[in-house]
Amino acid sequence: MNYRRKISFILLALMSCSLLLTGCWDQVEVNDLAVVTMTGLDLTDENQLELSVNIARTSSQQPQENSDSSSGQLTGKSVILSTTGNTLAEAVSKLQQQLSRQLFWGHNEIIIFGEKLAKEGIAEHLEFLLRHPETRERANMFISIGSAKEVLSLAPQIEHYVADDLLEMAKLQTGLNITLKELMQMMISKSQAAVIPCLIIETKQDHQQSYPFIHGSAILKKGKLAGLVDSSTTRGIMWARNELDRGTVTISPENSEGYISFQLLSSSTEVIPYIHGDLWRITLRIHTLDDIIENTTDLDLSVSKHIEELEMELEDDIKRRINKALTVAQEQMNADIFQFADAFYRKYPNIWKQNKDRWSDIFTKLDVVVEADAKISRPGGTGKSILKPNQE
Amino acid sequence: MSQFKYLINRWSRSDRQRSVNRDLQHTQKTKAALSNQLDNNLQLLQKVYADCSDIIFHNFWIGDQIQAVLIYIDGLTNTEEVDQHVLAPLQKDFPHEYNLETIRKKIAVSYIKQVETIDDIIAEISVGNAFLLVDQENQGLSIGVSQWKTRSIEEPSAESVLRGPREGFIESLRVNTALLRRKVRNSNLKIRTMSIGTYTTTPIGIAYIEGIAEPDLIQEMMSRLERIEIDGILDSMYIEEMIEDNPYSPFPQVLSTERPDIAGAYLLEGHIVVLVDGSPSVLIAPTTMFALLQSPEDYYERYVGSTAIRWLRYLFFIISLLGPSIYIAVITYHQEMIPTKLLLTMAKSREQIPFPALVEALLMEIMFEALREAGARLPKQIGSAVSIVGALVIGQAAISAGIVSSPMVMVVAITGVASFMVPRFVVGIAVRVLRFPLMFLAGFLGLLGLLLGVIVILNHLLALRSFGVPYLTPLAPVQSSDHKDVLLRAPHWRMNTRPHLTGMQNLYRQSSNQRGINHQRMTMDDEEGGFYEL
Repeated sequence: MNYRRKISFILLALMSCSLLLTGCWDQVEVNDLAVVTMTGLDLTDENQLELSVNIARTSSQQPQENSDSSSGQLTGKSVILSTTGNTLAEAVSKLQQQLSRQLFWGHNEIIIFGEKLAKEGIAEHLEFLLRHPETRERANMFISIGSAKEVLSLAPQIEHYVADDLLEMAKLQTGLNITLKELMQMMISKSQAAVIPCLIIETKQDHQQSYPFIHGSAILKKGKLAGLVDSSTTRGIMWARNELDRGTVTISPENSEGYISFQLLSSSTEVIPYIHGDLWRITLRIHTLDDIIENTTDLDLSVSKHIEELEMELEDDIKRRINKALTVAQEQMNADIFQFADAFYRKYPNIWKQNKDRWSDIFTKLDVVVEADAKISRPGGTGKSILKPNQE
Repeated sequence: MSQFKYLINRWSRSDRQRSVNRDLQHTQKTKAALSNQLDNNLQLLQKVYADCSDIIFHNFWIGDQIQAVLIYIDGLTNTEEVDQHVLAPLQKDFPHEYNLETIRKKIAVSYIKQVETIDDIIAEISVGNAFLLVDQENQGLSIGVSQWKTRSIEEPSAESVLRGPREGFIESLRVNTALLRRKVRNSNLKIRTMSIGTYTTTPIGIAYIEGIAEPDLIQEMMSRLERIEIDGILDSMYIEEMIEDNPYSPFPQVLSTERPDIAGAYLLEGHIVVLVDGSPSVLIAPTTMFALLQSPEDYYERYVGSTAIRWLRYLFFIISLLGPSIYIAVITYHQEMIPTKLLLTMAKSREQIPFPALVEALLMEIMFEALREAGARLPKQIGSAVSIVGALVIGQAAISAGIVSSPMVMVVAITGVASFMVPRFVVGIAVRVLRFPLMFLAGFLGLLGLLLGVIVILNHLLALRSFGVPYLTPLAPVQSSDHKDVLLRAPHWRMNTRPHLTGMQNLYRQSSNQRGINHQRMTMDDEEGGFYEL
């Protein structure tokens, strides 16, 4: 008995030693990491992939007078490095050779594709980003009008890093907010079309003042850039994709001069597919709730009749915007960026399977009915505009 | 665990057996009875008390004719009482015919006991009673005139409250039982006594309420206490470690308190209180993890606040156990879990630190524990110096010196505060000790290792029992009717039942519907214009 106990005690001691033997093989201290906050992918003139990264610099270059590392002030400095390679993985390994610290992709918040690369196709480069265990699937995706590297090298406007600036901008959802995961879902969906927000650089007199902002969107078909659309069409796309979160809609009512602005409180879009014989139809049913935030017309908003009229006009405006987006998608691009194909597939899987090869034909001729239902919840503190006292 | 047991057994077994044998020989020698001859008896006792300078043998004559000796311990006996109530009546005008009975009647002291054997005599004298030996008698009288200085009843400093009773147990068993009796004024409060310790013969009181406490539990407690063979009991901790279900566990399975109100509360829930003479902390068994995380004040403040504070305490209990290890695991293995901005700030503050996070954390934790221990052992006047130096050492100076990073100081400080949130010091120590292996696991294996450690601790806690009561009752096993006093502190009018595992034989502690004024009980009396109860 005692002998067995002794043996098992020794065995246990040896086994617990083996715990330590595994060591800390994947242990990395945070100050040995090169934290990538933003990645840009471009195509060079030699048809090579150019990878640019924005690495947050955590070491303070110039020691402050009262050197107090506890304050941890971010100097807003970041390091921009770029390498080229045939594939993204090759470029990454070349990049690592230039760095004293281990590249860390876990905080890569922004991925930007250059316009030129997008035209050639981005699908194969997404492979690395999805396969690598560290990369964020919630990274925001953008296409830069011009080169991506240019965006990376800009100085941040308000935040400490450009990546933060872009991230917060995307989060506000004034434009599209597409993450890597969403992009992948769109690209592998039945429709194989995707939409990504576009970045353009607003240039001031000197380069220091330039900053990027989201403007319009790019439409990808089978991973390749099919075309760019402007901001107002993008908002139509967002209505149809049920992505609109906030925004201001300004309309000019028919019977009066001036404008009325609405602030969006909530909006939801239902996509209802319907197949009857040869007729393929999508009904987009939009419910929205708005506040009036500005009234430069002479309408008295305390009169419920006016509110009802305004609701009608708002509905018309929404329909107009969506129809514009639909026209672009159906006729110009022939790209199903609204994922109507999946809606049909979910509801009519068998019919879909028979017709999936014809989808691009069907889509161009698809009958899309937009039904908008707008409600004005609060007309605001004043009825008539107090600045127009003479009107009745 | 069993290996650990084996080692301890190996180290201690042979020694213990030897000492017990020696003690038994010693005790057998004195099992003699008194004889009729005073001289013989006196010789015997003088031999027993050889070289005991504090034993007084006072020779005197009862009524000028019978020789008698009064034996007592100087300092333990009230000599004034001896003079007035024993010597004076016996020496003055005593009748010619005498026997023990008449002598007994003459002595104006309420506690008098006839004693025959040397053993009992020694026991009586050591308590502080005076022992009267009379010539021609083979029995003596033990006279209860013991009196010694005790500490006055004070508020226990380790368990102070803002509201609630401020009295605490002291070192005297009798005072303590009186304090208990004052809490539970009922003949059903039973206090059995026994003495443990071959040399110290320390009196032990076992208190319980008949009709509430399970007879099996009382039986078990008595048998565990009777089993103890030890040379001396200097504090209740000696008993505590000897009656625990799992003596190797870092968690206490017996609750100890210095507060009579806590002891009273547990008596009413069917627990047993063990009072040990010479120790102000009494033992309460069985106990649970959650009882150890309760403060008496939970019951003396309003229930809403008490419930919130209870949850805060549970949260900080977990923080004090896992705080540094989670930080180590996340910062060395799982950087992607930290929000980006925080990670960059952390990386920046760690920029100058030469050590890995594990070393850094160990350094700070050990430093903190050392400072705490030093502060606790030092006199109060010097203690403040330690805290000033400590604040400098583990605070700003360590950061500026580039030895530790500021987030680490914060984590260690929060953990330190968290460990002081645990109302029972013993539990706090258990958690502090367990923190270190968890830190190593987190440093070697990341969150996986941490999880491994937590699983081991949880397994241990789930298997642990205190006098048969599972340690994590009522959460595991689930006893939903007891949750009212664990997850919440229900208002007193809702605490209708006793805990199931200890108070089952007398479950209801009050009638239901005890809310002050409620709709069923309230009607308006028109004539008197007041409330009356239906």
